[in-house]
Amino acid sequence: MIIKKDKKINSRNYVDLMGTVGTMGTHMVTHPAVGAVVGYFLDDWLGTKPWLFIVGLLLGVVAGFKAVYMDTRKIMKAQEKHDAERFGRKD
Amino acid sequence: MAGGLPHPVLWSTLAGMDHITINGAQHEFKHVFYTWIAMAILFSLAFLVRGNVKLVPSKIQNVFEVIIGGLEEFVVSNIGEDGRKIFHVLIALFLFILFNNLLGLVPGCDAPTANVNTNAALALFTFAYYNWIGIKRWGFGYIKHFCGPFWWLIPLMLPLELISHAARPLSLTLRLFGNIRGEEIVLILFFLLAPIFGTIPIYFLFLLAKCLQAFIWFMLGMIYLKGSLEHAH
Repeated sequence: MIIKKDKKINSRNYVDLMGTVGTMGTHMVTHPAVGAVVGYFLDDWLGTKPWLFIVGLLLGVVAGFKAVYMDTRKIMKAQEKHDAERFGRKD
Repeated sequence: MAGGLPHPVLWSTLAGMDHITINGAQHEFKHVFYTWIAMAILFSLAFLVRGNVKLVPSKIQNVFEVIIGGLEEFVVSNIGEDGRKIFHVLIALFLFILFNNLLGLVPGCDAPTANVNTNAALALFTFAYYNWIGIKRWGFGYIKHFCGPFWWLIPLMLPLELISHAARPLSLTLRLFGNIRGEEIVLILFFLLAPIFGTIPIYFLFLLAKCLQAFIWFMLGMIYLKGSLEHAH
């Protein structure tokens, strides 16, 4: 009975983790890309050739790191919850 | 054709639907054709189930009840009772993407999600839908979701949040496209190397991967909707 319940928690954790981990890699790529593209078109529109592109790219990199940081925090939280459910009841 | 490799045989070629001509310009039509096939399968299954819904479910009704009921419980346990109002969109996306992905495993068919345009359309729909739900729920106060925890952080957080929201449809598109297209290419390569014995074992791996990709889309849509439904931090 206890083993069965534990297995259920585990398998749901795996699916959750796979979703989060699978998105982390694309987050690192897409955020800088979106920032750079937005900056490039704003440059074309406003005629400030290299500057908004650079600013957009930097903002995109920061946003990408923030997204990865949030994903990492989510994984840590899930792990802590899992540990508390698994080991916390003993004491 | 996946990545320049010739597909052995395609039903769309036999049906003459590989390309169509609109206003004198030729367009590739293969993936739209297979989207129609996936839609036909889904519609006929839906009518089959709907035609004789019983209190004691038959076989096919049982399968659908397990899938839809299980996922509804999953959504409600994550979002709360609000989840029931938006669940129909999520399950429609899940089933549509699942059948589109699985069409890639049927001999003579290509997965419509192996074309980046299908995925971009689905991702833009998801993006528009969760923003619309957020605006409907919060009105103008939806902008608080983009402003971060402190008021003096707004000049930094607003561009960051806008970029990260704009990156969501892009990352949804590219993930699904890369996974499904890669699997199609690997399947064709294995088929060229060893027609039967090469492809059968890899089918089981890809069956899992394609279900997982559809589920990841479902789960991400659920997370985005949860973000737009719950109170800003």
